Amino acid sequence: MSTVDGLGPYLPRLADGLLTTCEIAAASIAGAAVVAALLGVLRASRNTPARAASCGAVEFLRGTSVLVQLFWVYYALPSIQGAPRLPATLAAVLVLSLNGGAYGAEIVRSGLLAVPRGQLDACHTLGLPRRVALTRVVLPQALGQIVPAFGSLAVDLAKWTSVVSFVSVQDLLYWGNTVRVATNRTVPVYLLLAACYLALSGAVALVFRAVEYALPVSRARRRSPPPGRSPSAGRSRSPGPVASRRLLPWQGRP
Amino acid sequence: MSWNWGYAGQIMPTLLRGVGQTFLITAVSGTIALLGGLLIAVARWTGPRAVRVALRLLVEMTRGVPILVLLFFAFYGLPSAGLRPSAFLTGVAVLGCVYAAYCSEVYRGGLASVPRTAWDAAAALGLPTRVTWSRVVLPTVLRANVGALANYIVILYKQTALLFAIGVPVLLTNAQVAGYESFRYLEPFTLAGLLYLLLNLPSVWIIRRIERRVTRGGF
Repeated sequence: MSTVDGLGPYLPRLADGLLTTCEIAAASIAGAAVVAALLGVLRASRNTPARAASCGAVEFLRGTSVLVQLFWVYYALPSIQGAPRLPATLAAVLVLSLNGGAYGAEIVRSGLLAVPRGQLDACHTLGLPRRVALTRVVLPQALGQIVPAFGSLAVDLAKWTSVVSFVSVQDLLYWGNTVRVATNRTVPVYLLLAACYLALSGAVALVFRAVEYALPVSRARRRSPPPGRSPSAGRSRSPGPVASRRLLPWQGRP
Repeated sequence: MSWNWGYAGQIMPTLLRGVGQTFLITAVSGTIALLGGLLIAVARWTGPRAVRVALRLLVEMTRGVPILVLLFFAFYGLPSAGLRPSAFLTGVAVLGCVYAAYCSEVYRGGLASVPRTAWDAAAALGLPTRVTWSRVVLPTVLRANVGALANYIVILYKQTALLFAIGVPVLLTNAQVAGYESFRYLEPFTLAGLLYLLLNLPSVWIIRRIERRVTRGGF
């Protein structure tokens, strides 16, 4: 198999593309987190119209793929009178955020509902204001379940960014295709691309592992290992999603 | 520009042909994914260490790279290896392999959750290995995970739109071609989106039914 020689002159272009891909991925993951939080909280609320509306939005967004939605926003939306013609990058980030947010809403909802209702009642009995109960009791526990699941969604989002090359955003895949046409060296180009995307997925996963490590539930778990495991065994294990869930044995299914 | 019903009706037959292709591709690559995933999982469970490590690496790599990159790699790379499959065949094979990797993880989780006592009981009864697998272990795994597997098939259905990239005439491709020929994108893409959505809606209900039926009286 040939090495990357011959691709040398094109490497700066590919690096530019990688940077664009990283930027779009970061923007979309952040956007998806916001959308997921909004839709997820609405889905978990007891207000029926709010729940129905967010449920409809989630099903609508999850019913079609990112590519179909991107094409609609980029090509079809401007033909409607009064609708804006969005720049390709903005359209891409918007679609990825909404689509990722729809998948994330389900994660947020199940995370919130996994915290037993009895705890809210207990907070009420203790006279804690509702806001404090949510931010100091429910949310820290819910995040222990939300963050790992959202991390794997974020990895998916990083990979989904590759569809933006279809609306002429010059991302990694766009430049990869361009370089392939220019050099006709298919195998090395796509191996390089695959390596870049693997590294990106790995980096995103690592960031979310770090966030998970810094969460209050994980810190509490490190301070006091769960019963049934010796302290040394608790220390030697890396704090994976399963390990952090073990702190709260009632979590899982509501 | 506003909605034109005449034009919408005119492109409908083309779009419906795309729907047919979409379903055909979903069926074929879904079969590859379900059977291939099972093969991978069983090989990773029973195979020698080298096979296990190699398969694990392959699965992790497939899951870390966008489908589009694999699709282009196969479409442009296979001819340089002397193979010239059609775009349809390439697309079906790539989608099937990618989702086989995803499904294999589901099967693997299912295998890990078969209780030790079930294996012991099968051994105590003197069941041959083949019977243990086909009558004890696999039914348990399938029953517990039919929902997760069906979910991947639904995602696979939506991802068939990616085959637009290599020109397979799926629903999205036909919409794009129709729009390109008349410079009207509103109707084709809106109809395509609605068709994807409408055809996807029953899946939620169907999955729930299958799950209820299969898990009844299960482990």
